[in-house]
Amino acid sequence: MKTYKQPSTVGRFGDFGGMYVSETLMPLLLNLDKSYKKIQKDKKFKKELNDLFKNYVGRPSSLHYAKNLSKYINGPKVYFKRDELNHTGAHKINNCLGQILLAKKMGKTRIIAETGAGQHGVATATVCALFSLPCYIYMGSKDIERQKPNVFRMKLLGATIIPVESGSKSLKDAMNEALRDWIKNVRDTFYIIGSTAGPHPYPKMVRDFQSVIGKEAREQILKVEKKLPDYLIACVGGGSNAMGLFYPFLNDKKVKIIGVEAAGRGAKTEETAATMTSGTPGILHGSYSYVLQDSDGQIKEAHSISAGLDYPGVGPEHSYLKDIKRVKYFGITDKEALEAFQTCSKLEGIIPALEPSHALAYLIKAFKNKHKNKVVILNLCGRGDKDLFTAAKAIGFDADE
Amino acid sequence: MNSLDTLPKKKILSLFMTCGFPTLNHSKKIFNEMLSHQPDIIEFGLPFSDPMADGPIIQEANKLALRSKLSTQQSLDLIKYLSKYKNNTSFVIMCYLNTVRKFGLNKFIKNIKNFVDGIIIVDLPFEEEGAIKKSLSKNNIHLIKLISPMTDKKRSQKLLKNSKGFIYYISATGITGSNKLDYKEINRNVKSIKKMSSVPVLVGFGIKSKKDVIDISKKTNADGVIIGSALIQKYFDLKMDFNRYLKSLKKFIKEVKV
Ligand SMILES: Cc1ncc(COP(=O)(O)O)c(C=O)c1O
Repeated sequence: MKTYKQPSTVGRFGDFGGMYVSETLMPLLLNLDKSYKKIQKDKKFKKELNDLFKNYVGRPSSLHYAKNLSKYINGPKVYFKRDELNHTGAHKINNCLGQILLAKKMGKTRIIAETGAGQHGVATATVCALFSLPCYIYMGSKDIERQKPNVFRMKLLGATIIPVESGSKSLKDAMNEALRDWIKNVRDTFYIIGSTAGPHPYPKMVRDFQSVIGKEAREQILKVEKKLPDYLIACVGGGSNAMGLFYPFLNDKKVKIIGVEAAGRGAKTEETAATMTSGTPGILHGSYSYVLQDSDGQIKEAHSISAGLDYPGVGPEHSYLKDIKRVKYFGITDKEALEAFQTCSKLEGIIPALEPSHALAYLIKAFKNKHKNKVVILNLCGRGDKDLFTAAKAIGFDADE
Repeated sequence: MNSLDTLPKKKILSLFMTCGFPTLNHSKKIFNEMLSHQPDIIEFGLPFSDPMADGPIIQEANKLALRSKLSTQQSLDLIKYLSKYKNNTSFVIMCYLNTVRKFGLNKFIKNIKNFVDGIIIVDLPFEEEGAIKKSLSKNNIHLIKLISPMTDKKRSQKLLKNSKGFIYYISATGITGSNKLDYKEINRNVKSIKKMSSVPVLVGFGIKSKKDVIDISKKTNADGVIIGSALIQKYFDLKMDFNRYLKSLKKFIKEVKV
C-alpha cells in the first residue's frame, strides 16, 4: 500500500492547492514556506510548542466515551475528542500557537487574521496577548452581529477588530480584506490564516499544527479500545479540525473517514455552505479547490447558521481526499445541527459549538440503530458558549421570560 | 503582428477600465470616449466577485458591473465590438484566473484572438503559468508580467526571461488605488528591471493626476504609466451622474496625455 505523501513541494494535493496570488505576495509565501520547512527540523521550536500545548492550552485534550449518546444512538461506541476543553474553547489555538512562534522567528512585528465564528479571532488575539504583538482581526459585519461574545473577548484581549462590509459580510470577505492588508503591509506583517485554506504553504502548515489532535486520539483510542477506531467524523468549514483529526489516520486504510459540511437550508438550495456536495473546482483565496460558484466562475455567497462553516470554499486537501475517495463528505442542514446541539447538551452535559453539532447530527442520523460493536471518534472541536444567542433565537427561546 | 511589440519608446499611456461598469451600455460609451483619445494601451478589467488584489474603487466597479448580471461572454463581446475602432491602441485584458478557467482557456483564446494583444492574470504567478502561457503565445497574445517591490533580483531574472509586450511594475506595495509613490524606490527598481529586459516598463498602482504622470516621467526612467482607479473614482466623486462623469473623463484623459 502506498503511504500518503501530500502535498508536493509546490503545495499540490493531486491537482488541488497551489499558489494563486499576486506577485506582491509570492515572494512572501515562498519565504514563509522556506521558514516553515526550517522550523520543522528545529528541536527548540518543537519543545517550545509542546510546552505551550501542555501548559497553556491544557493538552492533551481528553477522549471521552459518550455513553449516553451511544445508548441513544443504539449503534457504535462514540468517543468525543474534546478539543472544546482547550484554552479559548476550540481547536483553533493549536494552529495559532504554531504560527505565532513562526512569526516571532521570522522577525514579524504585526499580526493579522480573518475570523468567521470569532474562534480563530479569539485564538489569534490570545496568542498575540501572550507574545505582546499588535493584532488586527478582520471580521464580516454579519458575523460581528451573530458572534457578539467573541467580539468582546477579542477586544478584552487587546485586538483591534476591523469590520468588513463587502460582499456577504462574512468569512470569505474577511479573508479578502486580510489578504489586501497583507499586500499593503508586506514587510512587517504575518498573516495567521485560521484554516487549511489559502495558498501554499498554509493548507499544509495548518494541517501539521492541528494534527496534534489526531496523534493524541490515535494513542488514546489504542489505549482504551486496544484497536484503531472504525470511523472518524468531523465537521468541515475550511477543514482544519477535520484535517487535524484525519491526517494521522490516512494510512490506516481500515479506518473509515467522514467529513460533514454545513448544508444550510439544504444542499440543493442556494442557501448552503456544502462546498464539496454542491460546488465545483475553482480558485478562491489563492488555492484550487472545490468552491461554490456560478457558470462564470463568480463565487457565490455561502449560508450556514454556523459562522465557522459559512464559507464557499474548502481546503484543497479535502478536495483531494474526496476525489481519491479516501474521505466521504456529507451535508447537514441548519435545522439538523440545531437539534443535535440540543441532544448533545441534554444527554452528555456538553454544550457543543454549532460547527461540531453538524458532525453530531450526521452521526445521529446515519448511525442510528446501525454499526453496533463499532468505534467512532468524533471531533468535538469547539464549545457552544459563543453560539448561545444564535441558538436561542433559532430555537425560539426567550432569555427574558 | 502584435501592436504591443511596436509601443513608442517613451511616455506610454495605458488606461484601465472595468468592463460593464456601471452598466454594459454606459461601459460602451466610456470605452468609446477612451478610444477617441488613442491611448497606447487600454486595459479591460473583467469583473470578478472576489478581486483580492484590488482596492475599494475597483471593487465597487466590479460590484456594479456584476449587479447588472454582466457575463464573461458579454465582456468579451464588448471588447470585440470596440476593436473595430482600435487603430493603434493595444488591447490588454486584466482578470483573475478563475474567470478564464471557468470560461475555458481555449474558448477564451478563441474569443479574443486577433484583437487582444496581451493579458494580465493578476493571480497567476510565474510558478503556475506553464500551459496557459504556451497556449497564449501560440496565438500571439502576450502574457504580461508583474513585478513588485518585493520581487528580488533573482526572481526578477526568472520572471523577465522571454518577457513580451511590457512589464507592469507595481509602484507601491499594496492594492490598486493605493497612494504614496516612492520615486526613489521606483527608479531604483525600474533601472534594475531594465538591465534584465528590453521591453518597456510601465508603472502602475497609485497614479492619480497629471502631476504624478509628469513626476514619473521626470524622476524615474520608467517608459510609461498605467492609470486605473483614478479614472473610475470620478464616477463616485460626481455622485454617479453619468453625463457629467463622461465629460470629466474626457478632460482628465486630455490632461494625463502629456
Ligand atoms: C468550533 C469550530 N469548529 C469548526 C470550525 C470550522 O473551521 P475548520 O473547518 O477549519 O475546523 C470553526 C471555525 O471557526 C470553529 O470555531
